[in-house]
Amino acid sequence: MKSVPNNPADSFESKRQMNLRLEIVRFLALAIFVVLGARLYWLQVKNFEYYRDRADNNRYKTIPIPARRGRILDRNGKLLADSRYVYNIVLERKLGNREITPDHFPEVHKLLTSNLDIEAKWLGERFEAAKFAPRHVPIVVKEDASSREVQWVAAHNNDYPELRVERAPQRHYPNGVLAAHALGYVGEVSKEELNKLESQYSEKKGFKFGDIVGRAGLEKYYNEVLAGRDGWRRVTVNSQGKIEDELDKADPIAGRDLFTTLDLDLQQVAEKQGDTMPSGRGALGMMDPNNGEILVFVSRPAFDPNTFSQRSKTPEGREEISDYYQDTDKPLYNRMIQGGFVPGSTWKLMTSVAALNEGVITPKESRIQDGGIQLGNYFMNSMSHTGMPDVVTAIRVSADGYYYRLGLKLGEERFAKWVEKFGFGHRTGIDIPNEGAGLQPVAATKQKISEALSKRKLKEAENAPTPEAKKKLIYQAEQILKEAKWTDYDMAASAFGQGQNQSTPLQLMRYVGGLANGGKMYTPHFLLKAVAGTDRNDAPQPEWKYEEKNVFTVPMSPEIHDLVKRGMYGAVNESGGTAGGSRIEGFDVCGKTGTAQVASNARAGSKNKDHAWFISFAPKEKPEICGVVLTENSGFGGKLSAPRARAIYDVYYRRKNNLPPDTQAQLVKRP
Amino acid sequence: MAFGVVQIHSAKPNSPSLWQRQIYAMVLGLIVMFVVTKMDYNRIFSIAPHLYGFGVFLLVLVLLFGTEINGNKNWLQIGPVGGQPSELAKVFTLLMLVKYLSSVRVRPLTLRTMAVAGAIWIVPTVLVYLENDTGSTLSFISFFAVLLFLCGLRWSWIATGLAVVVLAGFIAIPKIKASTSYKAERIKAVYWPELAAKRYRYQNEQSYIAVGSGGTYGKGIGSGTQGPLGFVPEVHSDFIFTIAGEETGFLGCSLALGAYLIIIWRLIEAAQKSRDREGTLLVAGYTGLLLYHVAISVGMVVGLLPIMGIPLPLMSHGGSSILATLLALGLCLSVRLRRFVN
Repeated sequence: MKSVPNNPADSFESKRQMNLRLEIVRFLALAIFVVLGARLYWLQVKNFEYYRDRADNNRYKTIPIPARRGRILDRNGKLLADSRYVYNIVLERKLGNREITPDHFPEVHKLLTSNLDIEAKWLGERFEAAKFAPRHVPIVVKEDASSREVQWVAAHNNDYPELRVERAPQRHYPNGVLAAHALGYVGEVSKEELNKLESQYSEKKGFKFGDIVGRAGLEKYYNEVLAGRDGWRRVTVNSQGKIEDELDKADPIAGRDLFTTLDLDLQQVAEKQGDTMPSGRGALGMMDPNNGEILVFVSRPAFDPNTFSQRSKTPEGREEISDYYQDTDKPLYNRMIQGGFVPGSTWKLMTSVAALNEGVITPKESRIQDGGIQLGNYFMNSMSHTGMPDVVTAIRVSADGYYYRLGLKLGEERFAKWVEKFGFGHRTGIDIPNEGAGLQPVAATKQKISEALSKRKLKEAENAPTPEAKKKLIYQAEQILKEAKWTDYDMAASAFGQGQNQSTPLQLMRYVGGLANGGKMYTPHFLLKAVAGTDRNDAPQPEWKYEEKNVFTVPMSPEIHDLVKRGMYGAVNESGGTAGGSRIEGFDVCGKTGTAQVASNARAGSKNKDHAWFISFAPKEKPEICGVVLTENSGFGGKLSAPRARAIYDVYYRRKNNLPPDTQAQLVKRP
Repeated sequence: MAFGVVQIHSAKPNSPSLWQRQIYAMVLGLIVMFVVTKMDYNRIFSIAPHLYGFGVFLLVLVLLFGTEINGNKNWLQIGPVGGQPSELAKVFTLLMLVKYLSSVRVRPLTLRTMAVAGAIWIVPTVLVYLENDTGSTLSFISFFAVLLFLCGLRWSWIATGLAVVVLAGFIAIPKIKASTSYKAERIKAVYWPELAAKRYRYQNEQSYIAVGSGGTYGKGIGSGTQGPLGFVPEVHSDFIFTIAGEETGFLGCSLALGAYLIIIWRLIEAAQKSRDREGTLLVAGYTGLLLYHVAISVGMVVGLLPIMGIPLPLMSHGGSSILATLLALGLCLSVRLRRFVN
């Protein structure tokens, strides 16, 4: 059949043919729909009951496999934190057509506590919390189970298929309390955190009931680096709830290792020094003044992070943890970064730099009268009477009277400007959480504190029981406001590091680093690098090195820098210096002591002895290491803190020059 | 379509952006459909070569810069706008083929005509095949086959073609049984489940359980347990019919299938009544494509066909699919509206 285009008759024929074939398409479509419909009928109507039972039984189950956290290492790869595998006993709440509802909890509670070594009270609380968790999330009922317990679970698998032994990583800190405040610790995520949207560990961010997360320190700050990607097993479960077969599996991927800037060798020496602090309280930190890498980080008293990661589910561990919270010396408190202390004479260097920069004194002419001073009707005593020292001598012998007068000459406005320039009263931005900002000892602070105090008095006055008491309180409030004015006394006190000053040891470490290198203020930090790997969400992550942040410069001419260094060198190495206890032959240690008066006379006693400070760096030229030592409530900085810094410098110096360790090394003994 | 939105919401109740995006795509699609309906389709045919070229260009871009999702490299992101060009390319290729075939009025088809039509068709098809998107590649075959059939493919050739397919099937079966590639596994999971790897069988079984447990009347909208809990993969897109099956049961599924059948019925009617050859072929070609999509995406859910990544038109989540479907329906409506005008 041959057709000619554009022939209307043929076009009609073509149209007829096409419509015919369209009918065929129509019936093909109908056939397909009939088949699909029939199949649906077969599935949904004919075999409904079979599939309903399968759906109810829900024979498939996904079991998570927790990932190992990344290790925390020191700068040379020495181990600070890793994970060990232990056996946990886990309760599955939904298996096949068996489900454990909160109604079953008392029964299960009884079964577990009578057969396994589990504390009844703790398990009760755990079930209470689990009431609000989704049913497909299993409950860990026993961590680090003994072999007897593992065997018991295995032997009773037929009776209690819901109980399962799971191999899981548990955080382990091989050095115990060492660097505890830097490392922090891990623990289970709380219900509140899961529910709160903006929390670091919210459900929205993929965390779930029972997840182990960083609770403090580096563990918390770098949780995203350290947390690995959990794996899972998809299994079939029979109607008795027993696992029959494994269908599919994704292995967990361990978290990324974190190299810190800490130096384990030096840290060990520093820990010993921390242990011998007379009051058992203090802080000690060392860093590289050329980049802010923290080498040593100690806060006393300390805690054992293993208690949280390994024993928090045992009665003994819970006792230990509650002791930590109740101890009045607050072992969990990180004195290095949270403690606001009066810095004492260590601040004289700041006042010196400020005065030299402002031209109040000059490198050539810096002589000022030392000794006590009459301020209005108050005589401010000075421990030193050195005549008319220059600034180098004043630093070396820590001449209080010199700084009273220097402060008064400088004046509050210029003083406050330099306090700000040195970054006091602001957080440094260290890479662990909960850093404190401290308080600047300036007029604005005094005003603010006085106003707050006065307001509180007025509020008390409103609720005063008698008109007399009310009158008295109002009078007091007015008096406080009157006294809020910045006085010469305030100025003189602030200039030598007393007064309403709160500085963290960390701020002082950054400060001495700046004094060592000529004014560059590096942010102290712990991160050296995080190795490449996979994150919690299965995304590949490249190696991550620390990037400088918040770095700023305090203007300081080489001439001024030299004067400060000479003073600090003299304090350690020359006669009349206050810090002879930190002298090392061949390693030119430069330092400044501080003895902060603990003001409250009302609470006199050994608890209220002065705080002993020592800030230092070494060597004098091209400094490599700097640091701060604070020994709380024990006496003079030169006697109690300088030798502790020396012990660390000594090890550092000997290691660097391949000298044998000093067996005679004098440790400061507890009196 | 509204049914689709509700099902997507049921599938992923915690992702509001999914069904919201779907609504945006629908509104945009409806506007496109309305505009296209108002236009004379012959005007669109005049720019068909450009559209076709544009479609091929997009497919090349995907191959060069596309992102891979679930093993298929078919997603193209340009700035804030992203989509699956293969969906649009289907419609543009259809237009081009219809334009060519309607200009050739020789019956039965000559080899020459088939060669030219084949050339037009093979370029985008190969590109889509290179994206590793089996489902879409096969969908190109669907409308091509319908067009050739309508244009007067000889019955002897059809018979030969079918024989070749059957023969090829017989040769391929042992190979598929032995192979462990994921495509082979998916085929095995349907027809020889005992040979398939567990994880592939798992997907299929979960789908049957979900649909089967829906029963006659379903579990009620929003109260499905199997799909939303994550037992069924990709429930919001290619497996959307699973949710429909579970939540609305045999009744809802029949209504949905009935609706599709009515659409196809009316499309065939429109094709028959079209005033010209272009209209007939256009509507019929699209009918083939639509039929294919529905057959595959329902067929795989109920366990008649292997799993392929194919969206269910107007119901599955996916802006590109919605847009392309509504654009094509607009064209068909345009043909239908102009059936009496001459």
